[in-house]
Amino acid sequence: MSDPLVRLRGVQRRFGRVQALAGAELDLHAGEVHGVLGANGAGKSTLFNVLGGLLAPDAGSLEIEGVQTALGSPRDAWSRGIGLVHQHFTLVPALSVRENLALGLRGRSLTEVGGVVEATMERTGLRVPLEATVSAIGVGDRQRTEILKTLLRDPKVLVLDEPTAVLTPEEVDGLFDLLRELAGEGRAVALVAHKLDEVLAVSDRLTVLRAGRTVLTTERAGASERALVAAMVGSGVADEIALGVHRTGMKRDAPARDPSAVVGRLTGVTGERLTNATLEVRAGEVLGVAGVEGNGQHELALVLAGRVRPAVGVAQVPDEVAFVPQDRRTEGLVPDFDLTENIALALSRLDRFGAGPLMPWDALEEEAERIRTRFDVTAPSVATLAGALSGGNQQRVIIGRELALGAQMLVAENPTRGLDVAAAAYVHGELVRLAAAGLAIVLVSTDLDEILELSDRVVVMTRGRIVVVPGNERTREGVGALMLAGRSQTG
Amino acid sequence: MNQIELTLFLESAVRLGIPLALAAIGETITERSGVINIGLEGSIIAGALGGALGALAFEGAGLGVLSGAMAGLLVGLVFAVFAIGLGADQIITGTAVTIGGLGMTGAIYQARFGATGTELSLPTLAPVAIPVLSEIPLVGSALFAQAPTAYFAYLMAPIAWYVLFKTAWGLELRATGEAPAAAEAAGVRVRLVRFMATLFGGAMAGIAGAHLALAHAGTFAENMSAGKGFIAIAVVVLGRWNPLLVLFAALFFGAASALQFFLQALGFDLAYQIFLAFPYVLTLAALAGWVGKSRAPAALALPWEPHR
Repeated sequence: MSDPLVRLRGVQRRFGRVQALAGAELDLHAGEVHGVLGANGAGKSTLFNVLGGLLAPDAGSLEIEGVQTALGSPRDAWSRGIGLVHQHFTLVPALSVRENLALGLRGRSLTEVGGVVEATMERTGLRVPLEATVSAIGVGDRQRTEILKTLLRDPKVLVLDEPTAVLTPEEVDGLFDLLRELAGEGRAVALVAHKLDEVLAVSDRLTVLRAGRTVLTTERAGASERALVAAMVGSGVADEIALGVHRTGMKRDAPARDPSAVVGRLTGVTGERLTNATLEVRAGEVLGVAGVEGNGQHELALVLAGRVRPAVGVAQVPDEVAFVPQDRRTEGLVPDFDLTENIALALSRLDRFGAGPLMPWDALEEEAERIRTRFDVTAPSVATLAGALSGGNQQRVIIGRELALGAQMLVAENPTRGLDVAAAAYVHGELVRLAAAGLAIVLVSTDLDEILELSDRVVVMTRGRIVVVPGNERTREGVGALMLAGRSQTG
Repeated sequence: MNQIELTLFLESAVRLGIPLALAAIGETITERSGVINIGLEGSIIAGALGGALGALAFEGAGLGVLSGAMAGLLVGLVFAVFAIGLGADQIITGTAVTIGGLGMTGAIYQARFGATGTELSLPTLAPVAIPVLSEIPLVGSALFAQAPTAYFAYLMAPIAWYVLFKTAWGLELRATGEAPAAAEAAGVRVRLVRFMATLFGGAMAGIAGAHLALAHAGTFAENMSAGKGFIAIAVVVLGRWNPLLVLFAALFFGAASALQFFLQALGFDLAYQIFLAFPYVLTLAALAGWVGKSRAPAALALPWEPHR
């Protein structure tokens, strides 16, 4: 094989007491799509940020086209032809899509930028609403904008951190076609995706990181899923969470459902992004709500969870609804509060914690300790700050806290977004177990596989309307087609 | 109010609004970059003293204005070094700069001219009437028979607007104030942008101060800025962080200040302090939601550390 475009060796990086990278290696060749795998916290994002010039490594070497290089800034990375698409959006919400794209091409006049944008949209088929304000567009469009912004600079090396997390299956296929095409033009493409099958579908070669080290680099052709998962998580636990667990082994045969027990009911609810939404949620079922982001499912979740009262129509929902919001970091937890405080935020108003003006900290701490143990939260103690936990552990804290409310209904929005295989499997298992225990569960997700695997009934949201998916159309293709009907609204 | 009184009222409204406009246009740029410079008052008073000393030294009001701009910029630099360079809290730094500015200028003034405050007579910035425009009935003389610094303010408002909303430079500035992490990822040097925006704001406040000393008073007096820095910050809010609206908001505040003299002159039988308080009450009202749905830059007052 020819010399690699990019060669990373022995890369180390420490954040405080956490050694995020401890000797990572990565070779990227022209013309290949290279998948990078690893559990949450394995160092994938850190490695990509080093490559994108955002983080300076503590040790290690980087060669670009055989030349030893140090990247001092994102600007340095670009000038050497490396384009990074970030995991978390780096768009300015208050600016328009066009302005954000112009920001990505800084140094050129705004009119000049317009021409480059048009040409790149034409060439790549990535369509975005240029005049819309970023805060008003859905995450799918934001993701496209983010990718487009990077492609405007025509990078030789394209690095994508979790680009598929918010896309529909069709959009993922479209993105992968584009990546293959870009690699075919002689670029090197590297990506991280949290779904193993996606990475396998698009990659020519694979690198697996574990605990900040490169533990395996292999051709796609010669790699078995089992071997990859074993490399990701370490051989001991591989069997327990082999992909099969959440792919096939979890679905119940028949829902233990009492069809008379309707826990939540919406009748003709109309409001922001909702049009005449009518829906029943029953005890013991998982109701899957699919849809392209921005078609009203977020608003539906808020109404079902009792967080928003509809202006028009009737929403009959229990007084307490457990709610797992989609953005853990801004809506779920207060990062600077410890676990006890985060748990107290939701629970202290419960009768069993008394009604006086004083916070019953002892009882709340006990409750936090119970949740930590019951949900297996990896944290030194309940005095750990929520922001210090990994995404998977934050999600466990939220689920544990919400369930402690003793609610009959749970609404979860994209509960496994950004979680690794093991953490996602845990959340999925928990949802199924709770449904079996009689809870009514509403699972709102843009991950179609998740919806299809876990749900007893599936509805699709398109442009604020609810479309019930008949049993015989509950396939990726069938649901995907219904979802796409809502595309034009967001992009 | 008869025609002559009304004309006089409008003239003083504009005259009182101009220093606010100068300072507030600068502060708009500063705030758009994510920095709230509460030390504006310090830059204004430094500009007033710098303008006075410069005008004396160079024997000309024009160079005095330039000296005032430099003095305001230097005070802005002190703020920037602490608040941006060292990431200190912007509110506390700004307050310190204001108090320090008022104290230092007072001390320098007394050291130079004596504790009694010798009457200082400066070359003044004389009004220049613009032909034709100044002859428009009612508003003509109010708007177009002012000191040159007023015309500078009229010019800077559209220029600042154009730079802010139509150029790549302005785009990067606004991105820095809205989402510094995103700007940084795009290759913008966030702290440098904030530094420059703060220095610009300081220089504009310095010109406002020089205008006070050279065009209004013809002399320097301790504390002559009289809270104008703080009112300018309210003007920015009232003008929704848009330089064109900010110019109008400043003139509106100028009118509020002018009104106090006229209400006094018209012989309302009230303690004059109540009239004096009027612009400040208006400031409170502006800050308390009069502004409607306008939104401050999302990262305003948040320090930024590149996390490399």
